[in-house]
Amino acid sequence: MNTYSLRRYRKYLLPMGCMALLTWLSALGCGVHLASAWRTFGTSIGYFSGLLVPDWSAFSDLWGPALNSIFISVVGTFGGAVISLFFGLAAASNIAPPWLRQCTRFLLSLERALPEIVIVLFLVAAFGMGPSSGVLALVIGSIGMLGKLFADAIEELDMGSLDAIKAVGANRLQVMVYGVWHQIVPTVVSYTLLRFEWSIRLSVALGAVGAGGIGLELNRSFQLLDYHRCCSALILVLVIIVLSERGSEYLRKKVNVGGTLK
Amino acid sequence: MKASLGYTLPSDRLRQKATVSIVVSLGLVFACIYMGFDPSMIFTEFHFVADLASNMMPPDFSLFWMDKTIVMAIVESLSMAFLGTVVGGVLALGLAVLAARDTMPFRGVRLVARFVMQIVRVIPYLVVILVFVATVGVGAFAGMLTLVFMTAGNFGQLFMETIEASEKAPAEAIYSVGASRGQVIRYALFPQILPGLIANLFYAFDVNLRTGIALGIFGGGGVGFQLYMAMRVLHYRDAFALICLTVLLIVLMERVCDLLRKRLLGKGILK
Repeated sequence: MNTYSLRRYRKYLLPMGCMALLTWLSALGCGVHLASAWRTFGTSIGYFSGLLVPDWSAFSDLWGPALNSIFISVVGTFGGAVISLFFGLAAASNIAPPWLRQCTRFLLSLERALPEIVIVLFLVAAFGMGPSSGVLALVIGSIGMLGKLFADAIEELDMGSLDAIKAVGANRLQVMVYGVWHQIVPTVVSYTLLRFEWSIRLSVALGAVGAGGIGLELNRSFQLLDYHRCCSALILVLVIIVLSERGSEYLRKKVNVGGTLK
Repeated sequence: MKASLGYTLPSDRLRQKATVSIVVSLGLVFACIYMGFDPSMIFTEFHFVADLASNMMPPDFSLFWMDKTIVMAIVESLSMAFLGTVVGGVLALGLAVLAARDTMPFRGVRLVARFVMQIVRVIPYLVVILVFVATVGVGAFAGMLTLVFMTAGNFGQLFMETIEASEKAPAEAIYSVGASRGQVIRYALFPQILPGLIANLFYAFDVNLRTGIALGIFGGGGVGFQLYMAMRVLHYRDAFALICLTVLLIVLMERVCDLLRKRLLGKGILK
């Protein structure tokens, strides 16, 4: 049989057809209108060309909000990581009783299903605009992600060393500190740093909804059609994101097995 | 630090730990003071949360059958995520093929593709959705375009790494018996990366569904938009019902994706 025969591909016909049908249906659902989008594309390119030229004088009053954004994500991630440790302990099968584990896992998965931006909407309705809503939203968001990761890390612990510590007469707290904590420190630090990268990205969007910071400036200057200022804010955001990625990568490499810095 | 010992002395380790914790705690305190964030406000201002909760409390589920727009919003959210994944995934694969060392012989093209992916990856979705909303108008189309953009950037990088990490021997074998570059990609590279690709696309759908709900708040349409509107007009009971809907939708789609992925990858029909 010829290698290039179409018969070879006959089994792909049904899945491909299904995919095409689904794509077409969802294009209908989305209201995709490529023709008119293409028509407006040319004008909007000219319209947004202002986004490419930064307003250099705007940087002087933008670095404050930028710092605010960074602090929101630092404090939010740290607070979330500390609280997640307890959730991680409560959700680990080798530490917690089964009923507690099931409850905590269920809560965590429920929380993970809620996007942070929805959480911040509610927090803004409760506490008003301001960094506190952003910090709390990031804390809650971090718990959902880090709680599960920490629990998985704790479940993979070497139980032998825990037994050894118990055997020489340690109480529960000492087992937690010397058995569990010392083993999971590197994992905890690297996951927290990973989450920090996420938080930095999220804090931009959270800021626009009401947490303040650089996201708010970005959104506001966009709504006021001040595209040059918007470009400056965008540059700051890009610098923050790239720096946080590099920084967390560097730190993650430095943290070695014992949890100490090399 | 005494490198000759081969390990860190306990006294050194203590000093190191003390330094790290002092620096971290000072930084946190400074950050809190700078932002004006007082951690005790969670307790002193908790009654605001209680007020809000009592306003939301019986969630108004009748919204789902009274209001036809909600059903439409669910369809919009799902189709946004699906189209974003499919179109974005195709674009991501194209970019990855252009950027990977195995498939692209020209260094200039590789560098350009990599640069494009880097830029797309770090641009926050807030800016992208604002631009698209201004270009094509408020609605699911703007959200979908944003998702395409984000998926292309994020997963292009991932696919590129997958391609570069693939086994080189089959490609060389096929090349040595006279296959063209396209045939090498089709018969040596593609079968290797396809399972990973499919798994990643399911993951992308999951991410896109969540991001799509967040995008709705900035005018991207779907459930997020309805939620934002309900919050804006202070219909907290509707908002709470929509929250339940969001959680249900995301959890349900996660399950469906898991099932589909297991069926697809388990059977090995993709070879």
